[in-house]
Amino acid sequence: MKILRALVKKEILQIIRDPSSIIIAFVLPLISILIYMYGINLDFVTVNIGVKNDDNSPDITQLVNSFDHSKYINSEVSDNMSDLTQKLIRSKIKGIVIIPNDFSTNLEQRQSADLMVIADGAEVNTATHLQNYVLQISNQWLATSRYAQQVSPQIVNPQIRTWYNQDSNGYYFILPGSIAITMTLIGILLTALVVAREWERGTMESILSSNVTRMHIVLGKYIPYFILGMFSMIFNLVLCIGVFQVPFHGSYLVLILVSALFLFTSMGIGLLISTILKNQFFASQVSIGIGFLPALLLSGLVFPISSMPEILQYITRILPPRYFITFIESEFMAGTVPSIAIKSSIFLLILGIILFVAVYKNTDMRLTHD
Amino acid sequence: MDTVTIKNLTKKFKEITAIDDLSLKIEKGKVTGLIGSDGSGKTTLIRLIIGLLLPDHGEISVLGLNPETQKDDLNKRIGYMPQKFGLYEDLTVIENLRLYADLKNVPYDFERLLEFTDLKKFQSRLTGALSGGMKQKLGLACVLLGSPEFLLLDEPSVGVDPISRRDLMQMVRDLISPETTVLWSTAYLDEAHSFDTAIVMNQGKVIYHGKPYDLAKTTEEFENKVIDLMGGYRKTSSQIAENYVPKNSDIEYTVVADNLEKVYGDFYAVKNNSFEIKKGEIFGLLGPNGAGKSTSFKMMCGLLKPTGGTARIMGIDITEDPEKARSNLGYMAQKFSLYESLTVKQNLDFFAEIYGIHNIDLKERVDEIIDIFGFSQIKNQKSRDLPLGFKQKLSLACALIHNPPILFLDEPTSGVDAITRREFWNHITSLAQKGVTVLVTTHFMDEAEYCNRISLFYKGETVAIGTPSALKERIHAKNMEEAFMKLILESKK
Repeated sequence: MKILRALVKKEILQIIRDPSSIIIAFVLPLISILIYMYGINLDFVTVNIGVKNDDNSPDITQLVNSFDHSKYINSEVSDNMSDLTQKLIRSKIKGIVIIPNDFSTNLEQRQSADLMVIADGAEVNTATHLQNYVLQISNQWLATSRYAQQVSPQIVNPQIRTWYNQDSNGYYFILPGSIAITMTLIGILLTALVVAREWERGTMESILSSNVTRMHIVLGKYIPYFILGMFSMIFNLVLCIGVFQVPFHGSYLVLILVSALFLFTSMGIGLLISTILKNQFFASQVSIGIGFLPALLLSGLVFPISSMPEILQYITRILPPRYFITFIESEFMAGTVPSIAIKSSIFLLILGIILFVAVYKNTDMRLTHD
Repeated sequence: MDTVTIKNLTKKFKEITAIDDLSLKIEKGKVTGLIGSDGSGKTTLIRLIIGLLLPDHGEISVLGLNPETQKDDLNKRIGYMPQKFGLYEDLTVIENLRLYADLKNVPYDFERLLEFTDLKKFQSRLTGALSGGMKQKLGLACVLLGSPEFLLLDEPSVGVDPISRRDLMQMVRDLISPETTVLWSTAYLDEAHSFDTAIVMNQGKVIYHGKPYDLAKTTEEFENKVIDLMGGYRKTSSQIAENYVPKNSDIEYTVVADNLEKVYGDFYAVKNNSFEIKKGEIFGLLGPNGAGKSTSFKMMCGLLKPTGGTARIMGIDITEDPEKARSNLGYMAQKFSLYESLTVKQNLDFFAEIYGIHNIDLKERVDEIIDIFGFSQIKNQKSRDLPLGFKQKLSLACALIHNPPILFLDEPTSGVDAITRREFWNHITSLAQKGVTVLVTTHFMDEAEYCNRISLFYKGETVAIGTPSALKERIHAKNMEEAFMKLILESKK
């Protein structure tokens, strides 16, 4: 016990002296939250479009105007098609709506009237938004115009209501998820260097010829960085809930408990990398590769898991962030859902224990090279 | 009763046989020196004895225990100081002591150790900020905690000045009990000569085991005998010097330091350092660790800006045109500063290029250097895998690739065995005869004798300057080591 306490104390002193671990624990979450908050935007956006109206009926002028009245669209009316095309090519506008000269005549004769929408497919999201906006606006116009009785009334009229995130604020959902990514990175980065450092600096050789046991070495690394990691986790939550006012509907106790389990697994990954590689440079390279990228790309935060190829879907099942993201999103937006919390906890606990055992088994008590 | 008994021990690393069918007994209560050339298996042997490595064949018994199966019990009774001291540089002196006391389960009782090591004043200083000599003393203090029965020190005195080395030896003698066994690996043969027993290793075998005094009566003779045992050194004419093409110049004093000064805050790292070195002279800069030798060196070659004074290389002021001044220099840094992942040839190519040797000449020059230095066998080996002696030779080759009229060598022989050191100095003295000016620092006092003149440096200031014989005469010393200690002590007053 005395030996373990001495090792933990030593590690804490090293943490205090070494600004890099403090930076990883507290500056990294701040930067990352700012990036997720302002840099990544999945919300509805305002689109610039061009409108070319070839139909000079006064009713159609109203339609043209209503494009301009929408808060999602800035429209620019022009008769010069080549000018509009140029603007589209230069990305000044994201789409062109062309109203053909027989538009009102067709409506008058109760025939189907075509409206052409050209969208810039280079930005798929924006193009989809644009199509929806145009469809909505023209339908609205149609319903209020004098052609309304000419068209058969729609039988189904969906009334859309979004639950859990009523305002469709992307960052309400991306910020809690981002905590999972940040904590994966922090858990791995904090620990990936600490065992390798002892080998490189030759201190491991001294430690190994004193009275320490394997369990002392392993716990001597787990405990201090777990404490630091939990401080970092709490700092993340304070930023998210306190500073950026993301509504929280769950239980703080459940959140902290599951977060602790999650931290335990990501530290396990970092320590395993460090224990096996024994080289700080390799360890930091590998930890970015193993820790950060799969967490970002395969956890379901950015790309939905259900739309991934089947083999990748299987891979995501062994990634701790996947379970933690599901948990933390529901904890924030819907409150504690026992089935999700329990399933995530069981998975994280099992993986954490597997990693702990792997770290223990791979901790060398002798030198293997010269 | 023997502390260590080894029978037919063999240890291989891949293809290399590090320990070759070695049998050995280490007597209890004696200080045993472990000597041998680089890569002779000294470190491997120590690690096998304490169970940090496992043998391929053979038996080891240490304090009656088997290090393979009883390592935990053995650990409680030994003190091991690895080559890098094993200290936490980001902990303070006292924090390191407390950590190791806890790990050995002994009370915090450091009074006597701190007194002996002279570290009392520096208790709360970060270990990384200590000088080499002080780190070494702290390392030893940590190892001595818990009064181990068997002390193993792996080259504790590499790169440490004579005064610190003497202090360390004294500390060990004073702090151990008569029953304590010490195994001390060293490259300093004068050190080894003073031990009770000496073991000389070569290529994984013991080639001499006995009282050093039986081998030779004096230190100098002991060195010659040991070199003979290791295969002998035959002085041949230096190919490197023979192929050196001197540049014509009529400058008499090729290297001049003119009141060099470096101040950090209110601390003078270097103060009023002035000397003039003649063409073809070997000028030695001696002094304890932290005296400001390396700082002076870095200022002299324009790597560090002086806060006062200047230096002139071939008449060119280093503060005005550092690039041009530097083009006349070959610099060999204290630590091996070549690219370890590049091969010998790639390193040479790279240095030829950055010294501005152009395409057609480059290939020719590199081939020539490979030939002269005898690198043809190893030219495609990564420099990481070379023995230390070869690394030093490669560093020298890179420093000489552009045929500079001046060579700056910063502790070129630290950690190098006796034979390699003699070879190295043969090249240096031969180059000087061809007109190369050499500025060199060293902790080996016998090497100081090769210098034409010496400047003794202490706490940033020149204490004495002159030929080795003049310095010895002045202070009535019989050798350079004694002169060094006396002059430093005198200046302390």
